[in-house]
Amino acid sequence: MTVTKRAKELWILLLEFMRFGCFTFGGGWSIIAQMQQLYVEKKKVITAEELLDLTSVAKSLPGTMIANVAMLYGYRAGGILGGFVCVFGMTVPPMLILIAISFGYNAFRSNYWVMAVMSGMQAAVVPIIASAAIGLAKGSVKYPPCVFVVLLCLGLYLFLDINAIFLVAVGIAAGFLIGGYYERKGEKDHGAA
Amino acid sequence: MVLLKLYWSFLLIGFGSFGGLSMIPQISSEVLSHGWMTVEQVTDIVAIAEMTPGPLGLNCATFAGMQAAGVPGAIAANLGTLTPTLTLCAAAAAFFHRFKDSRIMQRILLGVRPACLGMVLGVLVSLSLSSYWGSSGLNCPAVAIGATDLVLLLKYKVSIPKILLFSAGMGFLLFGVLGI
Repeated sequence: MTVTKRAKELWILLLEFMRFGCFTFGGGWSIIAQMQQLYVEKKKVITAEELLDLTSVAKSLPGTMIANVAMLYGYRAGGILGGFVCVFGMTVPPMLILIAISFGYNAFRSNYWVMAVMSGMQAAVVPIIASAAIGLAKGSVKYPPCVFVVLLCLGLYLFLDINAIFLVAVGIAAGFLIGGYYERKGEKDHGAA
Repeated sequence: MVLLKLYWSFLLIGFGSFGGLSMIPQISSEVLSHGWMTVEQVTDIVAIAEMTPGPLGLNCATFAGMQAAGVPGAIAANLGTLTPTLTLCAAAAAFFHRFKDSRIMQRILLGVRPACLGMVLGVLVSLSLSSYWGSSGLNCPAVAIGATDLVLLLKYKVSIPKILLFSAGMGFLLFGVLGI
């Protein structure tokens, strides 16, 4: 009984991630947007904050970010097997599409209609990522100084083209500072009351 | 033998990179030094990898693998790129799952969440420039499609696959039929 239930859960995860895999245009962030829509807003199995946590961890590890996100979410939803199922589901559809394209990629690349369709899809990537960012912003700023961290990392990313791993380090340092300050403040307020 | 070489090369690429465009220099030096692809092929594949679904690194792995050894090559190269995820990230997942509620982890996340949000916003700014601003100034049809998508996403909660299909249709119409 429990075995079939677990198999069914893994099967659903596989289908969901294969669907994500078919629609990951414009890099890794569009899969975060799809997960936001499905798991945070529709199914409500994970909060925006938790999804942002998984994204942050995925971004700070070597390898492909969205494969890492798939592993982290899969592990959370269905243990180590869930992780493997999600990574598999997410990588197989794009691989099959690319294998098909690679047989005639010159024709694909120079085709007028293909380029028109692709230009349309390219225009959709920014609004898709923006919708995810709006959804994720809610959980990310717990105390006012966190806004400063957002702006600092935005500036560092845009103007200094700094590696993600360094920005995560900035975040960790800021987390200890801000967390320490508010914890002490909380104790003090609590003691005075 | 070539399969093992492909696996090993893309394993090194996987461990040495943190996703996205940072992978490209490493990928190109590996595939060029092995003679799996030519310089023009690398440029083409980056362009195609960006407009087809899937992460850039895996798409490049598929292409290079296909060039070098067909479908088995594509699978070997993909497995190489995924090895950090299947080993290191799997271990990190177990660790994170266990310690995410600890006080230290909560403090770390307090700062890492806004840092990550800052990065998404940065990606948005640079992508907006490349998507809507071309050599001939503002790309008006692209802006129109993007603005419509944003309204559909935020106000009408349309799902992302439908948004992509809608935008593909609009691209067909505006860039293709009308030839703007």
